[in-house]
Amino acid sequence: MPLTALLAAAAKGPLDTWSPTFFSGWTLFLPLIALLLIVTFTIDSRRASAWISVFFALVAFAGAVVLLAIELRHPAYREHTLTFLQFFTGQSGVASEFTLQWGFLADPLAAAMLLMVTGVSLFTQVYALGYLRREDGVVRFYLSASFMTFSMSGVVLSTSYGELYFFWALTSVATFVLVGHWWQRDAAARAARKVLLVTQVGDIGLLAGIIYIFFRFHDLGFQALRSQYAGGKVGQNGLLIMSLLVFAGVVGKAAQLPLHTWAPDSAEAPAPAAALIHGAAMAATGVYLLARTYPLFIASPRALTVVAVVGGVTAVAAALWALAEDNLKRLIAYATISEIGLAVLAFGAGAFSASVFQAFTHGWSKALLFLGAGIIVRELRTESIAEMGGLWRRMRTTGVLMLIGAAAAAGIPPLSGFVSKDAILSQLLSQPNAAVTAVVMVVTFLSGLYMFRMFFSVFAGPTVRRRRFEPERIRDPGGRIRTGMVALAVFAAAVGLFDLVRAGPEFVRFVTFPGQKSDHAASLIGSVLTSLAALLGLAVAFLVYGLRALPASRISGRVPFVPPALSRAFYLGDAYRWGTENAVLRAGQVADWVDRVVIDGAVDRVGGGVAGMTGPFRWAPSPRIPQLALGAFAGLLLLGILAGAVLGHLKL
Amino acid sequence: MNALIAVPLQSTTTTSQPFANVEIPTLLLSGIVWVPTIVALALLLFPDRTDAHRARLRSVALTAVGLVAALGVLMWYGFRDQGATFAYEEKRNWMQALGTSYHLGVDGVSMPVLLLSTILFLTAVLASYRVRDRVKEYFFFLLLLETGVNGVLSSLDYLLFFLFWGMQLVPAFFLIGTWGGGPRRLQVAWKYLAFGLVSSGLLLLAILVTAARAPSHTFDIPTLHDAHLPVAVATLAFFLFLGAFALQLPVFPLHTGFVDAQSEAPAPVAAVLAGVVTKLGAYGLIRVNLGEFQDVLHKFRVPLLALALLTIIWPAVAALRQDDLRRLIGYVVVSRLGFLVLATVSAQPVAVNGGVVLMVADGLSAGALIYLAASLIERTNTRSVRAMGGLASRMPRGAVLWIFAALASIGLPGLAGFVGQFLVFLGAYSADRKATTIALLGVLLTAGVLVWTIQRLFFGPLPESLGSVRDLGSLELSYTITLVSLIFLIGIVPGFMLLDNVNFGVLTLLTRGTG
Repeated sequence: MPLTALLAAAAKGPLDTWSPTFFSGWTLFLPLIALLLIVTFTIDSRRASAWISVFFALVAFAGAVVLLAIELRHPAYREHTLTFLQFFTGQSGVASEFTLQWGFLADPLAAAMLLMVTGVSLFTQVYALGYLRREDGVVRFYLSASFMTFSMSGVVLSTSYGELYFFWALTSVATFVLVGHWWQRDAAARAARKVLLVTQVGDIGLLAGIIYIFFRFHDLGFQALRSQYAGGKVGQNGLLIMSLLVFAGVVGKAAQLPLHTWAPDSAEAPAPAAALIHGAAMAATGVYLLARTYPLFIASPRALTVVAVVGGVTAVAAALWALAEDNLKRLIAYATISEIGLAVLAFGAGAFSASVFQAFTHGWSKALLFLGAGIIVRELRTESIAEMGGLWRRMRTTGVLMLIGAAAAAGIPPLSGFVSKDAILSQLLSQPNAAVTAVVMVVTFLSGLYMFRMFFSVFAGPTVRRRRFEPERIRDPGGRIRTGMVALAVFAAAVGLFDLVRAGPEFVRFVTFPGQKSDHAASLIGSVLTSLAALLGLAVAFLVYGLRALPASRISGRVPFVPPALSRAFYLGDAYRWGTENAVLRAGQVADWVDRVVIDGAVDRVGGGVAGMTGPFRWAPSPRIPQLALGAFAGLLLLGILAGAVLGHLKL
Repeated sequence: MNALIAVPLQSTTTTSQPFANVEIPTLLLSGIVWVPTIVALALLLFPDRTDAHRARLRSVALTAVGLVAALGVLMWYGFRDQGATFAYEEKRNWMQALGTSYHLGVDGVSMPVLLLSTILFLTAVLASYRVRDRVKEYFFFLLLLETGVNGVLSSLDYLLFFLFWGMQLVPAFFLIGTWGGGPRRLQVAWKYLAFGLVSSGLLLLAILVTAARAPSHTFDIPTLHDAHLPVAVATLAFFLFLGAFALQLPVFPLHTGFVDAQSEAPAPVAAVLAGVVTKLGAYGLIRVNLGEFQDVLHKFRVPLLALALLTIIWPAVAALRQDDLRRLIGYVVVSRLGFLVLATVSAQPVAVNGGVVLMVADGLSAGALIYLAASLIERTNTRSVRAMGGLASRMPRGAVLWIFAALASIGLPGLAGFVGQFLVFLGAYSADRKATTIALLGVLLTAGVLVWTIQRLFFGPLPESLGSVRDLGSLELSYTITLVSLIFLIGIVPGFMLLDNVNFGVLTLLTRGTG
């Protein structure tokens, strides 16, 4: 009896208790509470801080699961909004009141993304319990991980563009802090700076888009704007500008061309941080924003084309770069860019559900790969895959987990990556667009190739002997490191299960664009093509890197110019650096020179001229107050005389 | 407690309270303006021969600014409920023959900046513990400066406004020239004074022109708001005022003197100069150029927008090449002031509201940055950004505070700069789309400068020479944490800052100015 009374009382709470938005708010604020608790109470205790953070991540994950369960039964869009800022502007019409709202929403899209965000965050944090045990800055890591989880959840649960931008910029800062975790290293410090500056370019684009949207619609709420984009209030060009500016934010945050340069550098972060950034953040912010603003993009077909082209080019280019990359962590980072590019391409081609699905499945496997790479790099004390090899015998658990991650990411059936790529391809096959289909096939093939190039280079063949390095001391990780990775591997393998068997709560039928019927068209040809492409990649990789039947050096030796261009990522990063150093910094030099010599010189000249021979600039007496006072009062006297003259002249 | 509630003078209270019809004259504004001067004069009677004497001088000064800050907070509290255009109005006869009167009052535009001023002066006195030389004179001038600043913000009479304008100029000159850090301090002080004197001259001329040609010969600001001036006179006065405020602000290309002063002045003075004294220029622009001469402002919108953009972009670009940490911050401060010009020129209520928040936000973050920079410079014995590095390991608290202050300066959500900046952009965009888009690039440049600076100061390997640097002491923490927590407060609960009354003040200013 008391329990029901308590529940009845709770139901009258500030939120509709037990409603989906209650769980949205729950999941959003728990990481923040963890952050505040750590800052307030346990800032000096590594163990307590870590466990607080993990515990709250677990409870947040549970909240996300409950939210997903509710949404599975009653898929609907609900939101709970509160006022952030409100005042009257004294103008007429829609502009008479200025309101910024915030709140949290609950719908299938948000529920699915939230599950991924909190899940990846939880398991990477569990992993970090072991991984960072002997490191400095454990508390700092958990603070930034909680902050990252909070801001990512905020992005996913935002109800308006204004709120979204708020959390969006917070994820930029969280990424900055996570990448700069080992800030004593120069490379990490530079990478952190790069992350913040490059994503800031995209953020400013997004901000401009939001300002433009507000200017045209006088509203920022997603729900209120949904029906307005296509309402004819704004012309096609306006819609194009809006969507491209919003897309600029996505390009920055999801590391699409041409703002991709931060992502490979961000592999400088510790493994769990990189897993959080590449697994959860890039997908949960970048692709999610596209999905959330789908009505805007639908209203502007030209923008969708641009999105598709950018996604396609990025997916292919990053896959090629991954193929040429020697650094294990950077390779996985390029793989992320490519996978997200595929999701963006699918979005641009109109495969809404499949695109979100791709971002969703990719998160788990990519986080798993980064965690595994962290272990390998730590044990081998090198990041170069050319110096690795033969780990299958020495690190069996890691090997199996990495195999699951690589296979899931590459799209080997029946793991999750296959299911989502299959969904994309099936959807694209239903609309005759040969070019897009071909690009997806190529990317799938390449992903099979680079993933298993990585896998075979690391795990097959002999262990490379190096000075002062004893392969016998390599250990498989245990304990919490393994727990976190196993959990991620289970999700990476299984999240596509329902879609694979085409029964139960299928993702592509669950996360659909509201008001639009499920766009998923299952096709056997799609499945066959996807698995063929991925398996072909696997087979080639096995021949070249597994059996070493066809040494890689001989292949790359035949093409003289391409490999260096690939391994420098088409020299884009170098071009940016050159541009920054030679244009921006040079401009700063010029401005500084003009300020010092031209402007200040003119000021001195004028001042000296006015003051004459006894002018203060040449006079420069010793700093004694009476003299200074004399000067000041002379000036004031002058002013008085001036005032008197003017007053007299005006005959006041 | 009646004195705390901002009862408008003309209010007809019909409550049944005893003494309800007895108007208790509110002296709060006079207090906030003159308490520092009174204490400053009293300070002259104290001896400053020994360390104990100096400590006493410090405590007395601290008491004065603390009292003023308490008054400011109390007034802010009472300000929430006031209903008239101006709160805490005081009007006394003073040189009636000239048409002037002692008229003080605050509205939604001036009250937030006044609150900022009281808080910044409190932190400035706290941060002045490094001053060991001529302590008495130092605090004397610092307190006079506070009177001048608070007076400018609360005067509702142009002659009074001018008087206080001069009063904030002269102490700053002495403070830079006498207690400045470098060999160029005297030259810089003279230059500052020269700029200030020209600014005062223009201001006086503008005031006289306005008052002389107004229908009723008066210097009363609220009265003159409704006055109709001939177009030619209005244009002349507009540009005279603009010149005065542009010199104070400073806008491009008048900023070099200010940047020099930033590098030479003692840190507390630099913080006050960057934090609130420059805001007097912005305040003047909003109060006079926007409030009174809106028509002229509209006519010359394009060149003024160009001025705003130059002020945003140019110093941000120049800041890229600065090696002196204090100069770098000075440039960033100037660049941020450009947004205030943008908000003013756009003449949109949303943007001006944002401008008011931005004045406070940037004042707080500039203050925090300058104090932290001074702490860094004191510990590392160098002003060169290049010579520093890896300091996060030696001073983690300083690094965290610096990062927050810097992020607030680039408008990170959750910190104070965001709300103001977002509102300025949202409002200004409807006035001019191209200019606002270019201004967004300015944000990017400032972000580049500050993020790069964070990396160069705090990250990377620690140079051997900096191995013994200590973290911030509790005194330094006290005032920097005060500023940073206010930055958080405004960023998370902007309603705390942006009251309905602020908006009401902005709207009144904008609607009455069309005459």
